[in-house]
Amino acid sequence: MLGFVIQRLLQAIMVMAVMSVIVFCGVYAIGNPIDIVIPPDATQDLREEAIRRLGLDQPLWKQYLTFAGNLMQGDFGRSFVYNIPVLELIGGRLPATLELVLISVLSATVLGVSLGVYAGYRPDSWLSKTIMAVSVLGFSVPSFWVGLILILTFAVNLGWLPAGGRGDTVLVWGVPFSFLTLDGLSHIVLPAINLALFKLAMMIRLARAGTREIMLTDTIKFARAAGISEAVILRRHLLKLISIPIITVFGLELGSTLAFAVVTETIFSWPGVGKLIIDSIGVLDRPVMVAYLILVAFLFVLINFTVDLVFALIDPRIRAGATE
Amino acid sequence: MTPLARFWSEFRENRIALVALVVVVLVVLLAIFAPLITPQDPYDMTGLSLMDARRPPGFVGSGGYAHVLGTDPQGRDLLSAILYGLRISIQIGLAAGGVALTIGAALGILAAYAGGRIETLIMRIVDLQLSFPAILLALVLVALLGQGKGQLIGALVAAQYAYFARTAYGAAKSERRKDYIEAARATPLSTRRVILRHLLPNCTPPLIVVATVQIANSISLEATLSFLGLGLPVTEPSLGMLISNGFPYMMSGRYWISVYPGIALIILIVAINIVGDQIRDQFNPRLRK
Amino acid sequence: MKHMALLRPAAVAIGLMAGAVAPAQVFSQELVMGVRGGPESLDPHFSALGSHAEAAKHIFDTLVWSGDDLQIEPGLATEWTPVDDDTWEFKLREGVKFHDGSDFDAEDVKFSIERIPVVSGPTTTTIYVRRVKEVEIVDPLTLLIHTDGPAATLPYDFVRLFIVSSDAAKDYSTPETAAEGFNSGKATIGTGPYKYVSWEPKGDLVLERFDDYWRGEGAWEKVTRKEMPNDSSRLAALKAGQVDVINYVSSVDYLALESDSAVDTIKGDSVYIMNLQLDQREDTPMVRAKDGSKLDANPFRDMKVREAIDAAIDRETMVEIVLEGLGKPANQMMPAGFFGSNDDIPMPEYDPQKAKDLLAEAGYADGFEVDLYCTSDRLPGDGAICQGLGQMLSAVGIKTNVNAVSKTVYFPAQGRLEYSMFMNGWGTLTGEASYTLGGLAHTNNPDVKMGAFNRIAYSNPEVDKLLQEGATTLDADARRGMYEEAMAKTMADKAYISIVQLQTVWAAKAGALTFTPRFDEDTLAFFMKPAS
Repeated sequence: MLGFVIQRLLQAIMVMAVMSVIVFCGVYAIGNPIDIVIPPDATQDLREEAIRRLGLDQPLWKQYLTFAGNLMQGDFGRSFVYNIPVLELIGGRLPATLELVLISVLSATVLGVSLGVYAGYRPDSWLSKTIMAVSVLGFSVPSFWVGLILILTFAVNLGWLPAGGRGDTVLVWGVPFSFLTLDGLSHIVLPAINLALFKLAMMIRLARAGTREIMLTDTIKFARAAGISEAVILRRHLLKLISIPIITVFGLELGSTLAFAVVTETIFSWPGVGKLIIDSIGVLDRPVMVAYLILVAFLFVLINFTVDLVFALIDPRIRAGATE
Repeated sequence: MTPLARFWSEFRENRIALVALVVVVLVVLLAIFAPLITPQDPYDMTGLSLMDARRPPGFVGSGGYAHVLGTDPQGRDLLSAILYGLRISIQIGLAAGGVALTIGAALGILAAYAGGRIETLIMRIVDLQLSFPAILLALVLVALLGQGKGQLIGALVAAQYAYFARTAYGAAKSERRKDYIEAARATPLSTRRVILRHLLPNCTPPLIVVATVQIANSISLEATLSFLGLGLPVTEPSLGMLISNGFPYMMSGRYWISVYPGIALIILIVAINIVGDQIRDQFNPRLRK
Repeated sequence: MKHMALLRPAAVAIGLMAGAVAPAQVFSQELVMGVRGGPESLDPHFSALGSHAEAAKHIFDTLVWSGDDLQIEPGLATEWTPVDDDTWEFKLREGVKFHDGSDFDAEDVKFSIERIPVVSGPTTTTIYVRRVKEVEIVDPLTLLIHTDGPAATLPYDFVRLFIVSSDAAKDYSTPETAAEGFNSGKATIGTGPYKYVSWEPKGDLVLERFDDYWRGEGAWEKVTRKEMPNDSSRLAALKAGQVDVINYVSSVDYLALESDSAVDTIKGDSVYIMNLQLDQREDTPMVRAKDGSKLDANPFRDMKVREAIDAAIDRETMVEIVLEGLGKPANQMMPAGFFGSNDDIPMPEYDPQKAKDLLAEAGYADGFEVDLYCTSDRLPGDGAICQGLGQMLSAVGIKTNVNAVSKTVYFPAQGRLEYSMFMNGWGTLTGEASYTLGGLAHTNNPDVKMGAFNRIAYSNPEVDKLLQEGATTLDADARRGMYEEAMAKTMADKAYISIVQLQTVWAAKAGALTFTPRFDEDTLAFFMKPAS
């Protein structure tokens, strides 16, 4: 087991190193921020001064080494636009995004798995067909469109919920959370639904497919033949068997939801990192873009690593096969 | 019965999937023949009049015909704009899906066939990319490459080829392990034959499933990027661009500019996904009784 | 605002006990503003962006105040006079206090001016002090500003010269420390109407009233400035009651809002004017015959072609249809009433037949093809106006391919002179002509620091001469005449064709507040009064 962990850890470090180079070069090689950051009317002197100040006069490899060196010390550089450390900028907005993502993915998973298992267990029932129809819709309708419709319906026409922003927050261990206040909760409902819908559809489909497959296997047939009650079959066999793909997807989706939050945050003016990155792309604020992408990559690597570990704990075969 | 006929007769059993297929075919036909059907070429500036701008459905404009779905802020007939928009969306979906399929399948099969270092290298890259959200990748690429069809397709391909590579690799790898291929590999001349006759056909069913999903995804992703202001030029609006252009008018009650293109987009994507679902179920050997 | 109703009885009770205090001052008055853009930092000297200065004006004061119509008024300086060709004397206001209770004096002004070049960010604020050579303190309330030659527009330069406290900002005046000191509130000590409470970049700026403000006490006890860049979200937030007032109501929502009884709209003229710009170089890249072949000459160098383009533009339709009423036809690059605008310039007439005839006379009976570029995400309606132009020009035979692109694409390419025909919004942010004409109409010449924005190689020696004279003439009336003449000559050449002047709309909860819209579109809490 220890060998497996070390192997995966080394891989993760490699991946991060490669990612940092790709992201840095990708973002830095294309797109010149200088024309965006300084006014279109700046004189040549001011332009050169700005280029020098932002360190853009150095060759790319030198810029990367400086960047990597700083990165080692946990310094992602300063935002071109805000002139404050990028980490501070992102860190200040991360709780909002994490809160939104966690609430969305958790509720999508709990609800999605229950609905999906039901739909797979009774594939021909009327309710199952409705569930599946909803899931196809949730899977297909672009999330920005859902967001627009949600705002139009619940915020503008009905006036039940706020259209955007985060609302009041409460500090828990120094981190602001909004779901603990009524005002905050009312703000998070629409974006969370918006973000969760796609994941919900996905979880339903996954759970249904898994359930259908497993219900047709010999294990279940034997169990039924042996007279084990349906409830026990569902609990003991089914949930256990579908839990592996669900855990995997939960982990992976946590990351991709983080990415999709970009769209939701933009529509609902949610003050998270997703909105920050869209704005930063708009003004080519390179340090923010690079730091965000690297942090997302890090998160992904971390999640993959964790999923691998959990897998290995659940399923010894994977541990054995890891050195193949 | 040939496998294709059997496949079809099974497909027909699912009424909803059948309807969805008809819808997909119909939409594609409408898009292909849009120039013949539509009352207006929405991209020809001389045919537009600002006097017709933002008129509600049914308005008879300066062209002398009724705008069945109303007009957009530039005086375009929305029905025409939607059909032309469908053309662009489908074009982009197919082009991005097609290129991603080709590159992905080639890489996946190559990795499975070659094994060793090449396999490790390709699949490491693919896994790395898979773990990275497609939308973010596309977003950053489009932002950096600039606006335009080519750039957009490039970004979508870069964001999606990995799914195909993973799928092709999985299917090819399981076939690759079989003894007859080991044997065939011993004779150097037959490499092409092994790939074309054995590995590729084996990968086809799962690739088709992924392709349907990914084409729908490309269309949806394109619309999302356009909505975020990173899509195609405004003068040749795709569905996403039409929706995004029309959205500001929603609050002032001029819903049609955004809602109808949105409905067209959703119908297309939902139909493709239903068809894709059915194909997936039919290809899934574990669901066979 | 919701809890205001709850607070009211208690406040009234306290008010009754206090007896003499007027009720309006006792009520907890809170103003929540939803604004499109916010500051990039709370260091007022960091950025020259409009939204940055707008936020800074809540906490800090400027030396010279720019009024609602952008004409200069006393601010922290009460009067200014040129004492000789390159020296201005500024008298400072007496009795002004900083938020920490300390006195404002000449030392703070000198400190602020000298601080700017050190801490300015990429969107540089050094333009406000570029002419200053030296600051000399005569006494605590008198300053001599020595300039690098006659600087006629110096007072205009100072309308965004924010004064920070030399004591509080002393330790936060290097590029590394400035943001930390100001964003945390430690150095955010101004003389302005509101005091810093908290700020989140791209989020909320929370402020509380400064009771000793020299203009008098503001109406709102607490002000929150929420940054909401999305037009629809901002409007939705107003309709949902989350904010009291929003700026930049989109033209698409304006008509519907006007008839909405829950919302008040306030419409004001904007400084921004959309100008069509025609490249005057002999060889221009984005023009060709309709069959794609190269033209013998750049058609835009032909006066007849420029006149034809001017006549092809239907400004009324542009305003009524494209902007849905939120604009005015424009005939020059500055709004009427600005220093140097010319009232005698006629409004061009829309005459498509004349346009076709002129094109034929110029030898382009079959027209030609051109790529028109503009931004789609910078100013309200920019992309739509551009597409409207495409239709109008196509209608007279100039096949126009419209490229409404993101500003991140547009400005770099425009700077590289890649465009032949482009539409650009220009705001005369200083309220006077040397900024606009000096930048756009003068031949590009770094030696005299003029023509830096002239991206079409426009060059008229007479205009150049007038502008150079104007820049060194300290007599305001004589200078005004020179700029008016330069404006007339520039517009007559039709290389710059002004199309529409934008208008800006604010929206507020019905009956919540009143204010006078400002030309520079600033949304300033201090000047908003609760509607009794």
